[in-house]
Amino acid sequence: MRLVVALLAVLLIAPAYGELVREDPLEAQVRELARDLRCTVCQSESVWESNSTLARQMRELIRTRLAEGESREDVLRYMQSRYGDFILMAPPKRGLNWLLWGLPFVLLVLGLTLLGRTLAAWSRAAAAGPAAAPPPMDEATRRRIEAELERLGEER
Amino acid sequence: MRLWQVALLGTLLAVFGLFGYGLTLNPRHIPSVLEGTPAAPFAGEELFSGEPVALEALRGKVVLVNFWASWCTECAREHKNLLRLHDRYRSHPEFAMVGIVHQDEAEQARDFLRRFGGGYPNIVDASGAIAIDYGVYGVPETFLIDRDGTIRCKHFGPIVGSNWDRIADGWVHSLVEQGELNSCG
Repeated sequence: MRLVVALLAVLLIAPAYGELVREDPLEAQVRELARDLRCTVCQSESVWESNSTLARQMRELIRTRLAEGESREDVLRYMQSRYGDFILMAPPKRGLNWLLWGLPFVLLVLGLTLLGRTLAAWSRAAAAGPAAAPPPMDEATRRRIEAELERLGEER
Repeated sequence: MRLWQVALLGTLLAVFGLFGYGLTLNPRHIPSVLEGTPAAPFAGEELFSGEPVALEALRGKVVLVNFWASWCTECAREHKNLLRLHDRYRSHPEFAMVGIVHQDEAEQARDFLRRFGGGYPNIVDASGAIAIDYGVYGVPETFLIDRDGTIRCKHFGPIVGSNWDRIADGWVHSLVEQGELNSCG
């Protein structure tokens, strides 16, 4: 029985494995490239992920150009020459784009610094002991409070 | 006021200033990377006559290229203005218009033109290669190409209202009649 189960398992797994091994190298190239290109009519989707007609046409164009012998860089350059940097899923690291790459880290450092300073100020205040004693109460206020308390006691 | 408060206030003002500036811009004008570059050649068969239509054959003319589709309501809105522009320059030897049918079937496009009227040549971009060559996002999109075959301006969206004035009386008039176009804005 175990042997039958094992044979069945092998038979079931084998086609999937075979498919993986047999993937057309051109298709793999298309996939890698299309993942780096933005679908221009979608929201945050790559050309590979999108099912839009334009994305499908772009994948076909990439396939054709790669099959004709163009390199990955050639195709990327071509797409960038048509749509600008917007077509790239990751903006190129140059010029003002460095702001996009760097600003989140700068803000993180600033935030952590601010947090650190605030926490340090709190712990300094805690280490200094309880707050200083309140200023002594003047005689008139003391008498007024006592009178109020007495009146409250009578009301009960 | 402490230094960090000044820095925070300055940053917020800068961000609001940037948003404010963005509101003053025309969202329909996408400064395409193609403006100022040679227009990619294209060719196809005219939708009705089957005669060859090629951009190269129009060299020496100012050419208005319009990407459209029959399913696109914005294209239907601007269509009468495109016909108006075509009528205005019908006899001008140095102006031509070409329609490129984008993500649509030839028969649907023919039906659209039978219904709304035509006048200038149209070709079908079945593979999308022409649209990608022109960095098209969606329809309608319109490009103005000068006599030297250079893309001068790109417009995204229908040519209606103030955009009609800007494109017909501005871009096209300047380039065709005066041979000059200083800005696409």
